[in-house]
Amino acid sequence: MSLSNMFCSRCGDGFEPHEKIVNSNGELWHTQCFVCAQCFRTFPDGTFYEFEGRKYCEHDFHVLFAPCCGKCGEFVIGRVIKAMNANWHPQCFRCESCNKELAELGFVRHQGQALCHDCRASARASGANKHTCHKCHGLIDDRPLRFRGEVYHPYHFNCSSCGVELNSDAREVKSRPGYTANDLNELYCLRCHDKMGIPICGACRRPIEERVVTALGKHWHVEHFVCAKCEKPFLGHRHYEKKGLAYCETHYHQLFGNLCFICNQVIAGDVFTALNKAWCVHHFACSVCDQKMTQKTKFYELDLKPVCKKCYEKFPSEFKRRLRKAHEYTPKKSPVS
Amino acid sequence: MDAAPVSCLPTNPNRMSKAKKVIDEAKEIQNPELDLSDKGVSTFEEIPGLFNMVNITRLTLSHNKIRHIPPGLANLVNLEILNLFNNHIEEIPTSLSSMPKLRILNIGMNRLGSLPRGFGAFPVLEVLDLTYNNLYEDSLPGNFFMLETLRALYLGDNDFETISPEIGKLKNLQILVLRENDLIELPKEIGELSRLRELHIQANRLTLLPPELGNLDLTGNKAVLRMDFNPWVAPIDDQLQLGVSHVMDYLRSETYKFLYNRSVTSRGSPPPKLNDKSKKISRLRQQS
Repeated sequence: MSLSNMFCSRCGDGFEPHEKIVNSNGELWHTQCFVCAQCFRTFPDGTFYEFEGRKYCEHDFHVLFAPCCGKCGEFVIGRVIKAMNANWHPQCFRCESCNKELAELGFVRHQGQALCHDCRASARASGANKHTCHKCHGLIDDRPLRFRGEVYHPYHFNCSSCGVELNSDAREVKSRPGYTANDLNELYCLRCHDKMGIPICGACRRPIEERVVTALGKHWHVEHFVCAKCEKPFLGHRHYEKKGLAYCETHYHQLFGNLCFICNQVIAGDVFTALNKAWCVHHFACSVCDQKMTQKTKFYELDLKPVCKKCYEKFPSEFKRRLRKAHEYTPKKSPVS
Repeated sequence: MDAAPVSCLPTNPNRMSKAKKVIDEAKEIQNPELDLSDKGVSTFEEIPGLFNMVNITRLTLSHNKIRHIPPGLANLVNLEILNLFNNHIEEIPTSLSSMPKLRILNIGMNRLGSLPRGFGAFPVLEVLDLTYNNLYEDSLPGNFFMLETLRALYLGDNDFETISPEIGKLKNLQILVLRENDLIELPKEIGELSRLRELHIQANRLTLLPPELGNLDLTGNKAVLRMDFNPWVAPIDDQLQLGVSHVMDYLRSETYKFLYNRSVTSRGSPPPKLNDKSKKISRLRQQS
């Protein structure tokens, strides 16, 4: 190869005899032409980086083309890990839980985090009750906001009435009563919600959006209006009130004793109460002759059972004398009863 | 009813027509409750056809002069209430105890000196009234306290001096009347009758009560404790002057438990019988 047909790859001019010529991979340059395509300075230590036919000094090549590590922010030279929408040094891409290098192990994406297989398995087991926001997909550390069947960070929403940023106390309300579709619901802050006049259940303190039971001066979810004794919901069946509590038929009578002395059944209609006992209309009768009595019938008492006048008069006189004697001695009442 | 046996005994035709009239009426209107109170009936033969009326649920025969109960009465399998108050009955047949639906049995004011063996076999008896008879502890058959369905037991005006500890087995008992017997003591098992809300023990010879009685709630507004006319020891009598709730509180105290244990071990002869029972009509037969 003669000097006359050698030309500089940059400026295209020939070379003077004895002039220093740079040869790189068969291409020739004047020494002053063998410079960084970006800063036009010679390459420190002769090291250059080539990209799309141009040569750059290390600094400019990094600035222009090298990826930055998603963890340490430095340029990534050499092997680049592309994962989780970012670039990483292999030694910087580690499990976010146990810090193991993931380059060789492989990783799994779990709720926006890169985890090794082991950590992902345990995270799934322990974090099962933590919610992921349906909007930003981040973990919800505090109480989530439930809305239209999904869970969210409350701060993604504002009150439909006053516009304030919501917290987890916010209430989901059907914007059009009678519609059941989830997508008609709207969110209100607790203050605005309370002003809307939605009945609150006396048992669970939550708003009642389905059927409302009104009893004992309060509102109740149908399923929360229950017998104070057995805690079964009345579900529309008859209930009995006593001292601010509601009872089912069975327990009301069991507790408050309105079982008929004769038939031992719950007394549905009118109740005759006397002598520490109760009777249904059909069974309030003289205990001796079984003749029916009314509220007005006068009767005598024998061992706390009613005896009509006719039967009392048929008692032997010695018995009547004893009864009279016992009756005249009126036992002292204790002060508490 | 034509097939019913006709009595050939000479009976007062007036009385017979009285009972028969009621029977005929009841048959006509299909009334399952038969009222034969104070009809002068002295034998069941005066009520022809009664045992064929299997549909009746209540039979009231109080204030009559019946001496003998035929075992055939138990044929009335639907009977729930049988009232024989104030008759002259000295014995009752064992067959009654097998009546499948009998819930209320009133044999008060009769002349019973004993109950038949196996009496306690009633399957569903709830109320048993034996007031004003001549019963005492040995009158009761061995299975008497098997009457687990019993909720009221009336034994007032009888001759009991003691009550069997087996009384504790009557778990459903709500009412117990022992008025005017000759009771010297009560068994501590009374304290096991957790549903008891009426206890009548007045006019007996009781001096002490078992401290276990304090387990019961006999002072609530739905409860009654009658205990006057007993020769109580002075501390109980003092509390009784203040009211039965004071007695119940006292029974629960350690002071009383100490007193009771000491008194039980060094008990003298029981107080004398005070009730004069010679004029009781349940005694008439013995006198005559």
